[in-house]
Amino acid sequence: MGVEPKIAELREDDAAKLAPRREEQVFLLLSIFIGVISGLLVVSFRMAIAWLSVLLLGSSPGPHQARLIYVPCVAGLGIAVLTRYVFPQVRGSGVNQTKAALYIHNGFISIRTMIGKFLLASLAIGSGHSLGPEDPSLQIGAGVASLISRKLGLSREKLRIFAPVGAAAGLAAAFNAPISAILFVIEEVIGQWSAGVLGSIVLAAVSSVVVARWFWGSEPMFRIPAMSLRDPRELMAYAVLGVVGGAASLVFAKSLGYLRPRLRNQPTWSQLMQPALAGLLVGGIGYFGLPEVMGAGYEAIDQAMHGQFVLHVLVLLAVFKIVATTLSFSSGTPGGMFAPTLFIGAMLGAAVGSFEKHYFPHLTGSTGSYALVGMGVLFAAFLRAPLTSVFMVLEVSGNYSVILPVILANTIAYLISRVLQPVPIFELFTHQDGLYLPSMEEQREEKSELHFEDALAPIAVPVLKGSETLWEARRTMTEAFAIQDPEAVLIQCKDGGWYAASRAEMEGLFLGLGADQTAPEAKQAIEERLGKERTPLMFPDQPLSAALPYFGRWPLLPISNRAMRGALEGVLSQADVLRRYQRG
Amino acid sequence: MIDASVIASRRRLLLRDSVTFFLLTLTTVVLFVLTLLLFRSFTAHRADLSVRWAARGRSALAQGHPELAVPALRTALVYAPDEREYQMLLAQALGGSGHAEEATNYFLNLWEAQPGDGVINLQLARLARRRSERTEAIRYYRASIFGSWNGDGVERRREVRLELANYLIELGDLPAAQTELLIAASNAPPGAGLEILFGDELERAKDPANALLYYQKAIAQDPENPEAYAKAGRMAYQLGDYAKAHGLLERAVRVSDGEPDDRVEVLLHNVERLLVLSPAAARRASDRITRLLDDKAIAKRRWDGCVAQGSKQAILAGVQAEVQALNARWAQAQGISTREALAADQNNEDVLTSLIHESETTAASLCGAPTGDDALLLLLAQNAQREEQR
Repeated sequence: MGVEPKIAELREDDAAKLAPRREEQVFLLLSIFIGVISGLLVVSFRMAIAWLSVLLLGSSPGPHQARLIYVPCVAGLGIAVLTRYVFPQVRGSGVNQTKAALYIHNGFISIRTMIGKFLLASLAIGSGHSLGPEDPSLQIGAGVASLISRKLGLSREKLRIFAPVGAAAGLAAAFNAPISAILFVIEEVIGQWSAGVLGSIVLAAVSSVVVARWFWGSEPMFRIPAMSLRDPRELMAYAVLGVVGGAASLVFAKSLGYLRPRLRNQPTWSQLMQPALAGLLVGGIGYFGLPEVMGAGYEAIDQAMHGQFVLHVLVLLAVFKIVATTLSFSSGTPGGMFAPTLFIGAMLGAAVGSFEKHYFPHLTGSTGSYALVGMGVLFAAFLRAPLTSVFMVLEVSGNYSVILPVILANTIAYLISRVLQPVPIFELFTHQDGLYLPSMEEQREEKSELHFEDALAPIAVPVLKGSETLWEARRTMTEAFAIQDPEAVLIQCKDGGWYAASRAEMEGLFLGLGADQTAPEAKQAIEERLGKERTPLMFPDQPLSAALPYFGRWPLLPISNRAMRGALEGVLSQADVLRRYQRG
Repeated sequence: MIDASVIASRRRLLLRDSVTFFLLTLTTVVLFVLTLLLFRSFTAHRADLSVRWAARGRSALAQGHPELAVPALRTALVYAPDEREYQMLLAQALGGSGHAEEATNYFLNLWEAQPGDGVINLQLARLARRRSERTEAIRYYRASIFGSWNGDGVERRREVRLELANYLIELGDLPAAQTELLIAASNAPPGAGLEILFGDELERAKDPANALLYYQKAIAQDPENPEAYAKAGRMAYQLGDYAKAHGLLERAVRVSDGEPDDRVEVLLHNVERLLVLSPAAARRASDRITRLLDDKAIAKRRWDGCVAQGSKQAILAGVQAEVQALNARWAQAQGISTREALAADQNNEDVLTSLIHESETTAASLCGAPTGDDALLLLLAQNAQREEQR
C-alpha cells in the first residue's frame, strides 16, 4: 500500500500524541476491513485447493490410480524446496506461528509468509497430503491483519492485538462458523476475554463469514442429518465415544510428538526429502484402497455422517488418517490439523454409531449424530479446546438437541487426554521448536492468584470522622499517639469514601493551627481540607497484585465490604502485601 | 493556543489515514472482483464436472452396471452435493450393486429431509423387502402410496400399490393383497389394458370372482379383445360357470382373427365336453338322467380299471377298506342305475352323482391324474365339493 513519503514520515508515537483517540476510532473500522479481506483470501484459498486437487489428482481420485502415488510425492519435493529456500516460515499449521507473532514478534507476520502459506498449503492439500485448510486460513487472516495494521502505523500494542483479530476472521471464513472461530482464538490464541479485543474479533469474524457465505452460500460446512436424543440410555454410547476419542487423540498426539522432532533433527538433505516421502506413503495409502484419507477429507466426513461406510472401513479410515496426518505434518509440509482431527473424530464417531446400531438396535441414534459428536470429541481432546468443540458442533449442526451428548463425550475425552497427555499438542510443538509461548490451558488451570483478603490486616490505626474539625482531629491524634505510634490514620468521609493519610500528611494539616480553637482554621472540617480526593474503593476479592501501584500514593488501603457502603473489612499496607507474597 | 505546526501535523495525519483507508477500500474492491471472477469460473467448472460424472453414472445404471455407477455418481455429488437427482441415482446404484446397508442409509438420510417423498419411500420399501423386514417394507410402501410424487402421481401411486399387492401375495397375505388391488382398480382410469392387469393380479391373489369381473370390464372397454375373452373364459371355467366360459371362449376364438391360442381351444373343447357331461347343465330332466347314466358308465370304467391296475401293482394295500366300501356302493347302485329308478326318486340321482364323484376322486388319488372325460368328471366332482364346503 503506497503512502506519500511526507505523510509516511509521521511516526507512530507522534501520531499518538497528535490524536490520542485515533487508534480507538480506526480500530473497529479496520476490523471490518480485515474480516472482509481475510474472507476473500480464504475463499480463494479454498478454491485454490479444490482446483489443484482436480488438476493434480483428477476429478475422481480412486484406488489404483498411479497419480495418487507420484503426485503427492513430486508436490512434496517442490514444497520442501520452496519451504527451505523461499518461504522458511510456512512450516506447521499456523496456530503456533500466529501465537508466536502475538507473543514474540509484536504481531508481525510477513507478507512473504502469508503468500507462502497460501501457495504451499494449497499445493500440499490439493496434491493429497493429509492436512487441512483451517489453520493456514487462520494464519492468512492474521497475516492480513498484521499487514494492514502495519501500513496504518498503529502502536505496538494495537499491532499485537490485530493478529488474533485476523486469525478469528480467517478461521471463521474457513469454518463458516463465526462463534467457534471467536471462541477458538480466545481459548487457544489470546487466552482471555477482553471487551476491547472481543468487539474487534467479533466484527472481523462476522465480516469474513458474510463474505464467505456470499460465495459459498449459507449452508453449514457439512450436510448434517436430522438427529435427536430419544433414549437417555444412548448417553452411555456417547460416553463410550468419549473414551474412544480420548484414546485416539492420545495415540495421535503421541505419534506426532514422537515423529516430528525426530524428522526435524535429520540432516538438511533428508528434510528436503521428507515431504516427498510422506507424500509417497500417504499416496500409497490412497492407491491401495483408502483415497479418502488424502487431502482435507471433507467428502469422506460427509459420507461418514450419512452412514456411507461400514464399520470396518470406518475404523480403517480413522487409523490410516492418523498415520497419514502424522507423516504429512511431521515432514514439515505446511497445512492444518483441524480437518484431519475432524475426519478422525467423524470416523470414530460413526464407527461407534454403527456398532451401536448393529448390537443395540433398540437405541435409535443415527450414525450421523455419532459422527458429528465424534468430531467435537477429537477437537476437545486433541486440540484441547473444550469450549470451542461444543460450540463448533452446535454451530455446524444447528441442532441444540445434540448438546447433552456433546458435552458428555467431549468432557470425558478432554479429561482422558489431559490426564494421559498433560502437555497440549500445540504447546508440545512450540517446545519442540524451542519456543515457550504461554499455554492457554495452563493459564486457565492456574490456581487463582492471591487476593486482598489473603493479606488483610485488622484496623489498628486511628479512625477519624471527616466531619471532625481540625482542632478535634489534632486532639484525637495526640491522644492516639500517646498510646501507640501509628504511621497513618483513616478518615471516614461523609460521602462514604475513605481517606488514608500518613502521619506526616496529618502533621502538615495541623501546622497552621494555633492555640485558639475558635479560629476559622481550627473549625474547618478535615474532609474540607483534604479536598475531593479519596483512597480508591477496593474489595477483599480483588487480586493482591492490584494493590501495589497504590502504595506510592497511599500509606495503607482501606478494604471495603461489598454489601455495606462505608464499612471496612480491614486494611492493607505495603508491608502486609510483601509479607504475604514472601509466605507464598 | 494550539501550535500551528501541531495543526498541520494533525492535518497530515488525517490525510494519511484517509489515503490509507481509500487504498484499503480500493484493494478490497479489486480483490473482491478478482475473487468473484475466479469463483464464477470455479463454480462453472465444478458444475460441468458434476454433469459429466452424473451422465456416466446414469449411463452405467442404464446399462445395468450399478457398481460402475456408484463411483461416478459419488464424484458427481462431490461437485454438486445438493443435487437431489444425483443423490437418488446414487442411492439406487448402491442398492443395485449390493450395498444394501449403504443404500438404506443413503435413502434414510434423504427420507429425513423429505419424509413424504413417494420415490424415497418406495426405494426404502424395496430395500426393506430385500432384507425381509416385512413391517418396515409395508410401512414404506404405504408411505410411498400416500407420499408426494412429481407429475405422474396417480399412475405412480397405482404402480406402488400393485407392487405392494405383489409383495403381499408373496407373503401369502391374500386378503390384504386383494384389498390393495381392489382399491387400486377402483381408482384406475378406464382402459382394457389396466382392467386386464387388475384381473391378472386378482387371479394371482386367488380372487377369481373379482378377476372375472375386471376381465369383463375389459371386454366392455374393448369388445374385440381376444385376451380379455380368453382370460374371462378361463376365470368362468375356474368358477365352474361352464356356460359362461363357453360363451367367452367361443368369442375369444372368434375375435382372434383366425389365430386362436391353442390353450384357448383346448379349454373351449373341455368346456364343450363339460357341458355335455354335466347333469346340471341339462335343460330337461330326461336329458339330465341320460348324462348321469353316461357319467356313471365313464366313472365305473375308470374305477374298475383303477382297481385292476391297483391289484397288479399292489397299490391298494393300505386302502383295502376304502376300495371295498366303494365297490359295495357300486354294487348297491346297480339297483338305482336305471332311467326309471332315477326318474322316480330325485334322491337316487344324488346318490349316483355322489358315487361318480367319489369314484373319480379316489381313482385320481390311487391311480394318478385322469385324462379325457374322467378328468372333466373329476373337475365336476371338485366343483361340487367346493360348493358343499361353501
